[in-house]
Amino acid sequence: MNHLQKTRTAAAWMALILVGLTAALTLPGCAGVGVKPWERDILAAPGMQVDPDPLVTALDEHIYFSKEASTGGLGTGGGGCGCN
Amino acid sequence: MAATRSSGSAVRGALAAACGLLGVGGARAQATEVQTAVLGYSEPGRVTAFEGIVDASHTLLNGKTLTGHLVFDTLTGASANGAVPTGGIQTFTSPSGESNYQTEAGKTPLDSTFKDTRAALNLGLSTPFDRLTAWGAGVYFSGEHDYTSLGANTSLTRDFNRKNTTLALRASYYGDSISPVGGRPIPFAAMVAPDIAQPRQNGNGTKNTLDLTFGLTQALSRRTIFAVNFTHSRVRGYQTDPYKVLSLVDDVTGSPLDYLYESRPDARNKDMVFATLARHIGGDDVHLSYRYFTDDWGVASHTADFRYRWHAGSDWYLQPHVRYTRQTRADFYRRFLVSGEPLPETASADYRLADMKGWTAGLQYGRRLASGHDLTLRAEYFRQTNSGAGTTTFGDLAGYDLFPAVDAIILQVGYSLDLGVDGRSG
Repeated sequence: MNHLQKTRTAAAWMALILVGLTAALTLPGCAGVGVKPWERDILAAPGMQVDPDPLVTALDEHIYFSKEASTGGLGTGGGGCGCN
Repeated sequence: MAATRSSGSAVRGALAAACGLLGVGGARAQATEVQTAVLGYSEPGRVTAFEGIVDASHTLLNGKTLTGHLVFDTLTGASANGAVPTGGIQTFTSPSGESNYQTEAGKTPLDSTFKDTRAALNLGLSTPFDRLTAWGAGVYFSGEHDYTSLGANTSLTRDFNRKNTTLALRASYYGDSISPVGGRPIPFAAMVAPDIAQPRQNGNGTKNTLDLTFGLTQALSRRTIFAVNFTHSRVRGYQTDPYKVLSLVDDVTGSPLDYLYESRPDARNKDMVFATLARHIGGDDVHLSYRYFTDDWGVASHTADFRYRWHAGSDWYLQPHVRYTRQTRADFYRRFLVSGEPLPETASADYRLADMKGWTAGLQYGRRLASGHDLTLRAEYFRQTNSGAGTTTFGDLAGYDLFPAVDAIILQVGYSLDLGVDGRSG
């Protein structure tokens, strides 16, 4: 199996997992997962956000983009640069 | 305090003016947040970089949010040019083709002519369709003396399950123009002495990138939230690093005969899945994330990240951070080329495309000031190592470290202002 095939296989698995997760969490029967509106106190705290430090994330993404072959994934995106 | 109010008011005014230009005015300011940070990055003996960011968001009463993200960075110092160390002094022609630089015997060749300054601006607007759905759009510009990038993005988010589940779709497109100092080298052309005709291609390089992201965020309990992103990235065009070379070495002695400019494929397809879990434990916040990356260049990586925010006091915290990554080399990675062997179609000796492990360890301190603003300080240590797997050395090459570790120190100061409703600090 060459790298292109491996990539496509991995991508297909990821997509399958995500579709499954999405379906499981959005179907009406599973709507019990989560919290009531009045139970959001902890999840609303700054330190409990999915990305509690967006600037740290942005700066780190730039560093690792410049120093590694892998990049992205956090959904922040970003254009290219001639980073060294 | 007066100065703070004054600057906050100025920022609010500027953002409100920008809203007016975009046709989203007419509503009173609802909330404004400004975050700033300055970062220093230093690899002893190599690169030093400084980066400053200003991030501002302004939410109107009608729910629309305008965001601005301004970045400015400078880079100086030396970067590995790809050649191998040898027993004698090595002389390289600088990218401009007008001068040269030398590397001592036994040392990793570093190009010390780098000096770069970059500015980037990202503007975005998010508009709610209804109580559960929002649409966003943004534009991006980044410019440095040899690289320009223009981009646009759009996103759609929808909440489900009493807002416990959020789905997001995002698409981004970037068009880049690459105009290297001295021009783009001809692939695998041999480096020649300065001030004679340099082996260069005509015109600038161009590259375009399309990113598609699908994201899912799920509140699992009162103390736990989970998010996962799947991203496909399609890159086409000039992806060669015009400043990197490969040593062409003698097949017996391992001594360099020539330095050849590198060449990379002009197509790359990347896929990555990123998952993160945040959990509130005993009054502290724990973030654990993992990313799997794979592409058709042969690179695959696993990256794990752990942060523990220890709320040591009512208005301050300490946050240890550990990151680990491991990547496989690109198919076309070659530490050097050997004379007498056929030239590959593509090849690069850029250590960033090699088998690699990376460790980061750091500590962040955060404090809520009396003004209600937040101050953060961060210090981290970053180390990259390469085992040299896949490379067989011989002759003189066996006596040198072809895969030196790279160490870096990262320092950051951040300051955030939540200007609250109508610009009042709070």
